[in-house]
Amino acid sequence: MSAVDWYLTLATGLFCIGAYGVLARRNVILIVMSLELMLNAVNIALVAFADFLPGAAGRGTFFALFIITLAAAEVTVGLAIVVANYRYSRSVQADEFSEMKG
Amino acid sequence: MTAAGVVTLLPFIALTLSAVVVMLAGTFHTSHRLTVGLTLGGLAWTLAMLPVTAARGGRQVTELLLLDDYTLFFIGLLVLTTAGVVLLSYGYLERRESHPHDYYTLLLLATLGGATLVASTHFASFFLGLEVLSVSLYTLIAYPRLHADFIEAGVKYLVLAAATAAFLLFGMALVYAELGTMSLNGFALLHVTGGGAADTSLLVGGFVLIIVGIGFKLGVVPFHMWTPDIYQGAPAPVTAFVATVSKGAMVALLLRYFRGVSLNPHDTVWIVFAAIAAASMIAGNLLALLQSNVKRLLAYSSIAHLGYILVAFLAVGRTAAVAVGFYLVAYFVTTLGAFGVVAELSGAERDADRIDDYRGLAARRPLLAATFALVLFSLAGIPLTVGFLGKFYVVNAGARSQLWWLLIVLVATSTIGLYYYTRIVVAMYVEQPQALPSAPRPARLGAIAGSRASDAVLIVVAGLVLFLGIYPAPLIRLLEHVVAGLP
Repeated sequence: MSAVDWYLTLATGLFCIGAYGVLARRNVILIVMSLELMLNAVNIALVAFADFLPGAAGRGTFFALFIITLAAAEVTVGLAIVVANYRYSRSVQADEFSEMKG
Repeated sequence: MTAAGVVTLLPFIALTLSAVVVMLAGTFHTSHRLTVGLTLGGLAWTLAMLPVTAARGGRQVTELLLLDDYTLFFIGLLVLTTAGVVLLSYGYLERRESHPHDYYTLLLLATLGGATLVASTHFASFFLGLEVLSVSLYTLIAYPRLHADFIEAGVKYLVLAAATAAFLLFGMALVYAELGTMSLNGFALLHVTGGGAADTSLLVGGFVLIIVGIGFKLGVVPFHMWTPDIYQGAPAPVTAFVATVSKGAMVALLLRYFRGVSLNPHDTVWIVFAAIAAASMIAGNLLALLQSNVKRLLAYSSIAHLGYILVAFLAVGRTAAVAVGFYLVAYFVTTLGAFGVVAELSGAERDADRIDDYRGLAARRPLLAATFALVLFSLAGIPLTVGFLGKFYVVNAGARSQLWWLLIVLVATSTIGLYYYTRIVVAMYVEQPQALPSAPRPARLGAIAGSRASDAVLIVVAGLVLFLGIYPAPLIRLLEHVVAGLP
């Protein structure tokens, strides 16, 4: 395995852990943390690729900056909604969100 | 970026500035009416800037955005639809929220996101547009904090949209690693030239992950799970926005960069899209049969309609691209009308989303019932409506490319669709209202003005459904010109 493969393996591993967390966690705050893990796994992959690709260096890095910014926005809004819900149900458990079905 | 670039970007600048103006106006405790006026003014300004940009010819602004006639047409469509949503929101929020300024700011920002998505030529602008749209929508869906349903819908959309955005990004990273470019054009060339480069597993993996992200935004099977919950949980005008602007912007992007897929029907990607289309038509129409909630029913019907659009998307040639555009316009108009009726009937307590709410509507609100019946017939594809012609063009495009089995699924499932649309019409015209008192006419001044605003939207929608259903030639000509630049 070349060096870039190791980075790819690390990124894929982190991404899968994050995806598992989104699916398996019951606490909305932990779900949001798992989402962060997924997005940051992408950042690792992008920065690694940007470093190893000939000629296109830098492109991946600036894209990672976009992702960091937007991930922050996403988490802010996510936590705000969780707080709004806490006012209603006094809970941050995802199981609470099962009113609608069908 | 050059000065010329700035002039070309005027529609985007207009949208952004309007969002800022509406936000600042909100801090001065302006009235709801003024806020709506400012929002509509901003949208009108954006529309007025489109010809200015168009006169300069198709222009690439930096690596990120391309403003050609195709982009401008879809931006115009998105902006007009948003104006409709704003007018619907006026009456709806007047009955509920006391300070709805942020709502309109978010609506403008979400439109900006959609416009960026349509104009994007690069992974970065694609992602930025998508996220500006999504993050605004999280808040819009959960906006009227009066009911737990709204918040539930907001959280569900947030988690699913963020997770699929991560899948999309990982896909982009893999494609970038393999191709060394983040331009969507390089990506589009890939499946036009076919096999060769697409053999590597990284690229196929990246492609699949990107399809996950796109499929989620379109709400097609198997990424449709969020659709019914969000449609039911979100406030009715926001649902109209999610169903039209958010999906339409993605269809426009798909049509521009994934058209090459249609050239090779034995390609894996083609088969994946065909399977998605067929599954969406079948699952959407069958599950809609089971619904007793009008918003959920419309959600499943929209899944089916996106399936129809994908059929035209998979067909070859200019006519197919025109068919996608026409169907999209038809879908925008009718969906706006359907949710407009739901929004107009919704009281302060909850949205009018049970079929029982529509019993005997023809006797209580004859015009509203007639409009709803008209848009439902259009969704079902009855002749003389725009929905019929939309389906006609889709079938025509499919037949030219000999997509027989997809067309068989389309026709068979449309027949099922007829049943559940008619069920609402029957409830409105044949069944008697239940004992429950009819929704009291709004008494407050603002609420009456709000009702007039939604009536105006519904009249325009009804007019368009009939006009385009009888005389589609001008729109077809425009679409032919617009898609001429596509590969």
